[in-house]
Amino acid sequence: MKSSLIRPALALALAAGLAGCGGSDKAEFAVKGTISGIVYPGAVLTTNGMDLPIDPPAKPGDPVNFEFPNKLEYGDVYNVVFKSTPQFQRQCVTPDNTIPNFNDTAGRLAEINVTYVCIVNNYPLSGKVNGLTADGLVLANGSTGGAGTVTKPAAGVTTPIDFQLPNVSYGTTYGVVVITNPTGQVCTVVNGTGVMPDAEVTNIQVNCVAA
Amino acid sequence: MDQLLAKWTKMLSDFSILTAQLRFPARFFGDVMKSSYLRAGAALACAVALSACGGSDGQLVLGGSFSGVTKTGLVLTNDGQEKAITPPADGTGAATWAFDNLISTDDRYSVEIKSTPSNVERCDIQNASGRAGYHVYTVYITCTLKRHALSGSVSNLKGELVLVNGSDRVALQAGATSFKMADVAEDSPYGVTILQQPANQTCTVNNGSGTVGPADVTNVAVTCTP
Repeated sequence: MKSSLIRPALALALAAGLAGCGGSDKAEFAVKGTISGIVYPGAVLTTNGMDLPIDPPAKPGDPVNFEFPNKLEYGDVYNVVFKSTPQFQRQCVTPDNTIPNFNDTAGRLAEINVTYVCIVNNYPLSGKVNGLTADGLVLANGSTGGAGTVTKPAAGVTTPIDFQLPNVSYGTTYGVVVITNPTGQVCTVVNGTGVMPDAEVTNIQVNCVAA
Repeated sequence: MDQLLAKWTKMLSDFSILTAQLRFPARFFGDVMKSSYLRAGAALACAVALSACGGSDGQLVLGGSFSGVTKTGLVLTNDGQEKAITPPADGTGAATWAFDNLISTDDRYSVEIKSTPSNVERCDIQNASGRAGYHVYTVYITCTLKRHALSGSVSNLKGELVLVNGSDRVALQAGATSFKMADVAEDSPYGVTILQQPANQTCTVNNGSGTVGPADVTNVAVTCTP
């Protein structure tokens, strides 16, 4: 130990040995995943004290891949949730036929891979039918969602009666038309065409009169 | 299942006839059995009773799912058995299906399409054949509906007009004399309406709605005020 060269060499070896025990060799897990269905901006994901804004894909319809800036260590619990969902997309959920994978312990699986699907808000297309006295009225939102039959009101029930066509997504056009008139009547549609707002459409009126 | 029950009931009753015969005095029974016709008959009865146990009446479901079926006409076959697919009432054209009779473990199956609905271009079948190890739910039928053009004429348009057919949107500029919407599936409803009128003009749509038949729709007429 008298040699001045040996001492620093030992110190170096010790330091190297200690470094081996520390940080850099520990298993680390990137928190990443894929979100499909994002159309509008405004999404923020959060987990383990980190926030990650998510932008819509460059090409509409593409899934968005994300990865949080800091990695987790083995045994850390993560819970990747939406601090805010995209605008006009209230619902971001685990895709169908997928086991929820946003909340788990790092290291239980070889990789963290969170999957979400976001759905554009959609609302029923509804309104009232006035003066309907016969069966046979068929309404449709153009070729979207199929046709809906409106039967005449039961005895004792006076019009207007309610009708509802399948849901339409926010920002999508709709146009309600009469496909078939009721027997002996002619019906016209008022307020039948528009672009779905971020709320249910209830002001469509179908007025039926004797033919 | 009713068929299965009926077969079992029949088998049990056949069996009880045989046991009834056995209860006759042996001498009488021996006399009866001397008749070769009766002997042949008894052998036939035995064969019938045995065949009821085996053959095509097994324990396993053979089926799967289908899509694109909006009217009747799709008929599937397997080993002489036919299944007519009923389109779902919800209008989606998609649901699950299964043959009425069950198949047995280790039975080979080969599902074929015997006929298709009149409004489809074609129907494709996935995982059509195999050997049953367990219930088979994996025979997928995908039908592609025939599609037709939806178009018409425009007259006297002097500004921007926006037409829609449900979620389909087409903008027309001043001077346009015709328009074409996205193609529509046969038998599906359509309805061309005006989302946005041109400035200082009012346009109306004639023949704008109906159900798409076996041909293109070309008679929609949009007329604008001077």
